Amino acid sequence: MALGIYISVPFCRSKCTFCNFASGVFSRDRMQRYVDRVCADMADSARIAESLGAVYERDVDTIYLGGGTPSTLAPDQPEQLFQSVRERFRVLPDAEVTVECAPGTLSAEVIATLLRCGVNRVSMGVQSFVDQETRAVARLHDRAITLADLDRLRAAGLANINLDLIAGLPHQTEESWRYSVRELIASEVPHASVYILEVDEDSRLGRELIAGGQRYHAHHVPDGDQTARFYEIACDLLTEAGIAQYEISNFARPGFESRHNLKYWTRRPYLGFGVDAHSMLLARQLHPDFPESTAAVRFSAADDLDRYLAQTTSEYESSCVTQRQALEEEMFLGLRLNRGVALDALCEHRRSPLPPAFHAVVREVTENGLLQESEGRLLLTERGRLLSNEVFARFINL
Amino acid sequence: MDRAHIRNFAIIAHIDHGKSTLSDRLLEMTGSVTAREMQAQVLDAMDLERERGITIKAHAVRMAYTAKNGETYQLNLIDTPGHVDFSYEVSRSLASCEGALLVVDASQGVEAQTLANAYLAINNGLDIIPVINKIDLPSADVERAKEMVESAVGIDCKDALPVSAKTGLGIEDVLEAIVHRLPPPKGTPEAALQALIFDSWFDPYRGVIVLARVINGVLEKGTHIMLWTNKKTFEVESLGVLTPKPVEIDRLEAGEVGFLICNIKNVQDTKIGDTITDADHPAIEALPGFEELKPMVFAGLYTVDSHEHTLLREALEKLRLNDSSFFFEPESSTALGFGFRCGFLGLLHMEIIQERLEREYNLELITTAPSVRYRITATDGDAFEVDNPSKWPDPGTVETIEEPIITANIITREEYVGGILKLVEDKRGKQKNFEYISGGRVMLTYELPLNEIVLDFYDKLKSVSRGYASLDYHFTGYRESDMVKMDILVAGEAVDALSVIVHRDFAFERGRALVSKMRELIPRQMFEVAIQAAIGAKVIARETVGAIRKNVIAKCYGGDISRKRKLLEKQKEGKKRMKRIGKVDIPQEAFLAVLKVGED
Repeated sequence: MALGIYISVPFCRSKCTFCNFASGVFSRDRMQRYVDRVCADMADSARIAESLGAVYERDVDTIYLGGGTPSTLAPDQPEQLFQSVRERFRVLPDAEVTVECAPGTLSAEVIATLLRCGVNRVSMGVQSFVDQETRAVARLHDRAITLADLDRLRAAGLANINLDLIAGLPHQTEESWRYSVRELIASEVPHASVYILEVDEDSRLGRELIAGGQRYHAHHVPDGDQTARFYEIACDLLTEAGIAQYEISNFARPGFESRHNLKYWTRRPYLGFGVDAHSMLLARQLHPDFPESTAAVRFSAADDLDRYLAQTTSEYESSCVTQRQALEEEMFLGLRLNRGVALDALCEHRRSPLPPAFHAVVREVTENGLLQESEGRLLLTERGRLLSNEVFARFINL
Repeated sequence: MDRAHIRNFAIIAHIDHGKSTLSDRLLEMTGSVTAREMQAQVLDAMDLERERGITIKAHAVRMAYTAKNGETYQLNLIDTPGHVDFSYEVSRSLASCEGALLVVDASQGVEAQTLANAYLAINNGLDIIPVINKIDLPSADVERAKEMVESAVGIDCKDALPVSAKTGLGIEDVLEAIVHRLPPPKGTPEAALQALIFDSWFDPYRGVIVLARVINGVLEKGTHIMLWTNKKTFEVESLGVLTPKPVEIDRLEAGEVGFLICNIKNVQDTKIGDTITDADHPAIEALPGFEELKPMVFAGLYTVDSHEHTLLREALEKLRLNDSSFFFEPESSTALGFGFRCGFLGLLHMEIIQERLEREYNLELITTAPSVRYRITATDGDAFEVDNPSKWPDPGTVETIEEPIITANIITREEYVGGILKLVEDKRGKQKNFEYISGGRVMLTYELPLNEIVLDFYDKLKSVSRGYASLDYHFTGYRESDMVKMDILVAGEAVDALSVIVHRDFAFERGRALVSKMRELIPRQMFEVAIQAAIGAKVIARETVGAIRKNVIAKCYGGDISRKRKLLEKQKEGKKRMKRIGKVDIPQEAFLAVLKVGED
């Protein structure tokens, strides 16, 4: 089975207030050391897979350069990364190659670099088409810049584009949100991601919201119920426009679904390189030390840039996925997709029948209108998508 | 020792007026304890006692004091529990003495407990020496304190002793006064044995240890004793005194105080106030004043983690070994699972037990709203008592309901009287007395239903008086009242652990407050949840917890599954800590809300 490859680029021109990733603003020198280090990890990946007893494929059919903002790299750096991928793996001719970009970083030079690297899909963190909203979260672009970037990409032949929007940004209103979604539709991109602002201790805005303060425009953040409403509005508008929802946060015109991201939700193997990058590979055989294990191994690199750079060789935290965890993953990943989870597939690669509590949970969440069964598949209802954690948590530790 | 050289005395005081410090100083001055051995306040043994500044169990310490007249006296200091819940124990300790030191803080003056304990001492016929303590403080006003004692307690303070237990100033005068102003014990060794039990506890190695005052006769090793109330007989294995270290002796004579060990296995056999007599030559009658201790306040105790139920039972059994006034029996609640119905002497007693369970046994507990014991007469003439809302009878079968009434003495500063009057009126209080005592103080005497006291009365009293009010109360009887059972329904299901008994006139207000508090505490669920307060089938208050709108990770974390998993595990864990009633998950705090309604 061909692999997906993810490369984490934790660099940005500035850090957005809502960002809870391990990314930030760093010097050119550190960026180069980082790129070298990622390339070294790629070179070492066969050995790591071997040591974990995992199946190591050379065929690759998706590559995803995410961040951070990969488009902030100097032109030679993405080339170095992609060259390294092609040296170590066999990138299939029809591979999907995505790079995340921030609007305002897509100069002609950058676009030329992307094309040289074989990039055929671009994902842009637009977040909003309302300038007051992008400004409030410290993004460096506005609507005009976004539209100009889109024109340049298309002129260069890069039309497979995704735009991200975030519901729940400071100053957002139902009206301004509708505006952003309509602008996205009007731009005629084939793919959209609709995220909801996350409030946690890992972002500046999140911390401020939790503390009840007013910095970062925290007091202008719409409440949870409003944000839920925004999400529903986006689902409706995008569907009407022919951009169908296929995952909780993802919408695409037919045939434009993100093949790379689908691997995560369908538990297909992928390798992640760089800070806080996560991998999942199939195991060559059941691990003798883990009698409960199924045929998968997960591992991840350090989630802190300094720690990552300080390591001289690749260091990973790894774990075998137990039968129980595999079932949990099937549910909390697979149910994210609109097509849901096939019941017979759930049983297929298990050596034991589904636990009785599983059926009880299915019944409970179905009665509450969050889940439905259709043609042998379990899938979330519309309301169930907004309450998906309620459903997923119930399948944990059954 | 001849009786003329024995003095048995107690120290009575309000909390924090310096009883323990004075005790320590007396022990130190008589050489019973060296300064080095003195880990401040040796008499308050348990940590909890030290922290709360109160003595839970009485102790008795024998000291030898050589007075200025050159003669050596045996002084027995009988410590008394410092709180209203233990007033019967206090009264039995006092009955073992001929005199008492009444300690009053020179800047605080008389407080409610000063009064309550002073009256107990007077009723027991004790001679009282007023001691004005903490005279080293800049705010001390000895004359004012004396005046207050005279006007409130009604005893002469001409010869009150000004002391500072902290610095040691005036302590020798206290010792001299004990010798010269307190009488020696009466009673005779020749008469039949009568000894008064004023404390007992269980020692895992020696069995029950009994503290007793010999009133008449002699106790010796080998004496066959009989406990008056249950007629059980035991042989005295050893006798001793606390100095405060335990020292074995051969005999205890009339007038003396000491401990005895007689292979008694169960502390329930040695009831405080009971009489020990000689089984072979019994006395004609028991000593006066014995009362069977009855719990006054009841509550259900449950473990947060249902797997800890067995641990809770073991802990309760251990606590009961040393506390015959504490009662428990298994009960079960549909909301909380298996637990125990516990009876306590009062609120403080309840708090102490709860704290010991949590601290010494590491148990996380849910306590249901405290209740009192109602007397119910049924229409068919049947009479019974109910202390648990879940056992409340069908109103149609009830002729009358009577509730326990207490008489409360509250002493406060004039400026807080207004707030306190409103509070006691709100709590269905009936004024019995309103008296200005000197020093800008007012003493209020009120009859109040115990039911109104057990919830939050202390806290409210403290808050309306900014801490300047002291309270003491005693049970005075039963009164017919219009009490009803109020249920709390969550999503249509009555939650038994939240039911309370309230006066009908207060039900509406309490119901509203309770459901509104519950609305804040119950998290939004997958569906709308109605919270109702109801009397029988009649709903008197209602709130709604709207259905949850979103709980979703709408963000791409690349292939990072662990982040999602952690979040989901946390949510699952959070749900596990809640109690499920029907389809609704209710957090622990909601069960405690009943105790805190109206605090905000």
